[in-house]
Amino acid sequence: MLKVENLHASVGDKEILKGINLEVKAGEVHAIMGPNGSGKSTLASVLAGNEKFTVTAGSVEFEGEDLLKLPIEDRARRGLFLGFQYPVEIPGVTMANFMKIAVNEQRKHRGLEPLTAAEYLKMMREKSAIVELDSKLTSRAVNEGFSGGEKKKNEIFQMAMLEPKLAILDETDSGLDIDALRIVATGVTRLKREDNATVVITHYQRLLDYIVPDYVHVLYKGRIIYTGDKTLALKLEKEGYDWLINDYREE
Amino acid sequence: MGAQPLPADSNVASGVWWLVASEDRNIVVSEGANATLAIFDAEGAVDVNIDIMAGAELRLLHLVTSHSAAQIAIAVAEGGVCRATEIVVAPSDTRVVASLVGRDARFELGGAFILTDEDNASVTVDVNHMVADCTSRTSYKGVASGKAHGSFSGLVYVAPNAQHTDSEQLSRNITIGDARIETLPQLEIYADDVKCSHGATVGQMDSDAVLYMRQRGLDLATAKRLQIEGFVDDVILHSSVESCVELVTEVVAEKLNRL
Amino acid sequence: MENKDQNILQELESSDYKYGFVTDIETETIGRGLSEEVIRLISEKKGEPDWMLERRLKAYRHWLTLPHPEWAHLDIPEIDFQDVIYYAAPKQKKQLNSMDEVDPELKRTFDKLGIPLEEQMALAGVAVDAVMDSVSVKTTFRDTLAEKGIIFCSISEAIKEHPELIKKYLGSVVPYTDNFYAALNAAVFSDGSFCYIPKGVRCPMELSTYFRINAEGTGQFERTLIVADEGSYVSYLEGCTAPRRDENQLHAAVVEIVVEKDADVKYSTVQNWYPGDKDGKGGIYNFVTKRGICREGAHLSWTQVETGSAITWKYPSCILQGDNSSGEFYSVAMTNNYQQADTGTKMIHIGRNTRSRIVSKGISAGRSQNAYRGLVRVAKVAENARNYSQCDSLLIGDKCGAHTFPVIDCHNPSAVLEHEATTSKISEEQLFYCNQRGITTEDAVGLIVNGYAREVLAKLPMEFAVEAQKLLALSLEGSVG
Repeated sequence: MLKVENLHASVGDKEILKGINLEVKAGEVHAIMGPNGSGKSTLASVLAGNEKFTVTAGSVEFEGEDLLKLPIEDRARRGLFLGFQYPVEIPGVTMANFMKIAVNEQRKHRGLEPLTAAEYLKMMREKSAIVELDSKLTSRAVNEGFSGGEKKKNEIFQMAMLEPKLAILDETDSGLDIDALRIVATGVTRLKREDNATVVITHYQRLLDYIVPDYVHVLYKGRIIYTGDKTLALKLEKEGYDWLINDYREE
Repeated sequence: MGAQPLPADSNVASGVWWLVASEDRNIVVSEGANATLAIFDAEGAVDVNIDIMAGAELRLLHLVTSHSAAQIAIAVAEGGVCRATEIVVAPSDTRVVASLVGRDARFELGGAFILTDEDNASVTVDVNHMVADCTSRTSYKGVASGKAHGSFSGLVYVAPNAQHTDSEQLSRNITIGDARIETLPQLEIYADDVKCSHGATVGQMDSDAVLYMRQRGLDLATAKRLQIEGFVDDVILHSSVESCVELVTEVVAEKLNRL
Repeated sequence: MENKDQNILQELESSDYKYGFVTDIETETIGRGLSEEVIRLISEKKGEPDWMLERRLKAYRHWLTLPHPEWAHLDIPEIDFQDVIYYAAPKQKKQLNSMDEVDPELKRTFDKLGIPLEEQMALAGVAVDAVMDSVSVKTTFRDTLAEKGIIFCSISEAIKEHPELIKKYLGSVVPYTDNFYAALNAAVFSDGSFCYIPKGVRCPMELSTYFRINAEGTGQFERTLIVADEGSYVSYLEGCTAPRRDENQLHAAVVEIVVEKDADVKYSTVQNWYPGDKDGKGGIYNFVTKRGICREGAHLSWTQVETGSAITWKYPSCILQGDNSSGEFYSVAMTNNYQQADTGTKMIHIGRNTRSRIVSKGISAGRSQNAYRGLVRVAKVAENARNYSQCDSLLIGDKCGAHTFPVIDCHNPSAVLEHEATTSKISEEQLFYCNQRGITTEDAVGLIVNGYAREVLAKLPMEFAVEAQKLLALSLEGSVG
């Protein structure tokens, strides 16, 4: 589904990603962990197409297509979803209206008719239940005045609405209390299917108690320095990153 | 550290200085200097030009206690800072024009006018953001009682290409009796990536608070006075020229007695 | 991101004016220029009584003494008032009695404008007075309204048929001495709408006037007078369009509203005069005086969406004369290319316990200049006045300007007046977020702008709100919606 080869990216003169290799197949869950400043969020941004970053080398293939050539919205319509670490507020634009446009743009891309108002409302009701999102929130402006937890639930709600092939969740667990974390994580798990994939970027093992990864990657200084299975996360939680980083230095 | 009279050659290095503005002056705050200057108005019209060179910081106090018409023009170069306090307690026409001409320059002004009886005063603060990445903060408070008339005119101008300008302007006013206050907080913006806000209020004293204080045994005049003191206090307490706080407090207290 | 911004900006600049067609009908005009003779001719053509002619001449003589105003934040090229045609009317042989008699070409024009002049009117529940160039073409639904005692007709007819009302109210809120353009209008106005709601009557439908300038070289000087008698209610809509022409055309209207005791008037405008092309050529000069007076307990609400005109100069105002009266002003002004707008409101508090509220949303794109100018004045006798003003500016691109000039003038210490203003741009984070959800940058800009203006759009009657949203998107997107 996703094949990243030797990806280099920088912001201004500063190189942040220094040769990432990553392959994600349908049905898989990958976790990307690593200390602060290692490039985790940059990787998510570059895959989504944020123009703040310049790709200087490497390639990314998504569903057999050259992802890097596509503008941000085309990547989204092809089924790449980014759950933002800091979802932006858009005053005056209601959540309901915003999602309706997004859903119908994607349907157009897939050659489907736009949803009628009734169908759309029904869909919204069903999907907001998945993350226990207060239905009142959908009539409010996008993320405006949402609490931290509501913002993150709102991201997963949008993921449910758009049914992406590949969801990249950038620190979706940060700033959540344990209840909100459970709700968000359960939401993600319920959206899991054989034909889609999830990349979870996180600092903490605790999210991985709910979302069980097939692979855990450790990102350090712009490179993936180690890949293991779900037990790696537990070990990292207990022992920190030092043992890995030291190994890496020796290399 | 005692303040000294500003030397005639007008090149200001670090130190604490004072000046009675009885004639036009051109003042340069040397590069990297950290200076403090108190300007006391004399009667009549004067122009004072102050150039704050790169990296210099000037703490400025402008105290208006007599019939005067002073214009203080301040230009702040790259990385320079001007923290100003202006107190007006007499009929006058004062004008501060601050131009931020170098990147990362900063201008702050906390001001208050207190007018009583038949005082008529007009205060103007123009802040010109000429280049990118500069910051300005203007907060002016006005109190007018009796038959006084006060007017505040503030302008924030953002030149084309002065991107990342960060500017706030606030004008808060209280009128008592037959007094009248006009306020004109203006924005003129020619760059798009800017953060500018302004606010203005004209209101009266909080009658609930006055009632509360009276219930605790304060007489009406004291209660009113306390409230006005509280209103202008932050300007005085945050006065940019520490060594003058006492003097300013005295001048303000004397004026408040006339409310 | 820079490239993308450039693309949007280009698209914005090339956006098209949908109403830029010319109706090919025979027009009767008088020569260019202005003189007492011309005013006599206008008055004669309209078959006016002598007292009206006298009023016009008095205004004209006063106008001659006035200089052109220069205080607004506008760059107004010198206007040659002798080069304007002050009267143009679609040529018609006789008085019209039914819809069928309206010139089919004219009807087609109004159809293109989307004005439901015929039977669908009943469904829409709107009574329309359509003013083309200078003459009121057709007032629909007059009979239905007459049953309730509501008068809704062209001002010319009102002068003939209701002289007592006109004598009492015309010029009572905006006297000819008010300003340069008010004087000019009082001298040369050729038509407009008149509306009278009797005591205690709630107007059962929205009343609407559509203005259109069609003939070349003409100015339009319409005059609108609305009188809401005690305890009545009316919602009034005004829409404006003009064909695309290279030259500048002058529009100097006057709207007067009298809101008697406990009456309630809602006045909504969607102004979409031709703004000129992307190089700033052509377009309407829109210099309008709008003012209402509120008696005791009365309420007047102005809502405007301004997307058109090369230059707009307009300050719909409320004189809160009566105790407990209130005024509101909700405005969205959008400028693009070389458009200039200097618009806002005046709230004059005179009565006791008067309230006013101002919400202004400016949107500047291209090389346009957009200014809010407001005055909140509290008279000495106006005990307990309250005002809240909010003025926001949104800038799109770095070649435009946004300006805020609010004046607060308080003569009474019991007043509480608040003003807040902010300036913002559409952030790259917002665009990225929308893009990531599959929405194009162009759509995202339209969405964000509409969201930004929502508070004001929500004040418009439903059909108008939809039209206004489309207009905003149209002015922005360059795609004909």
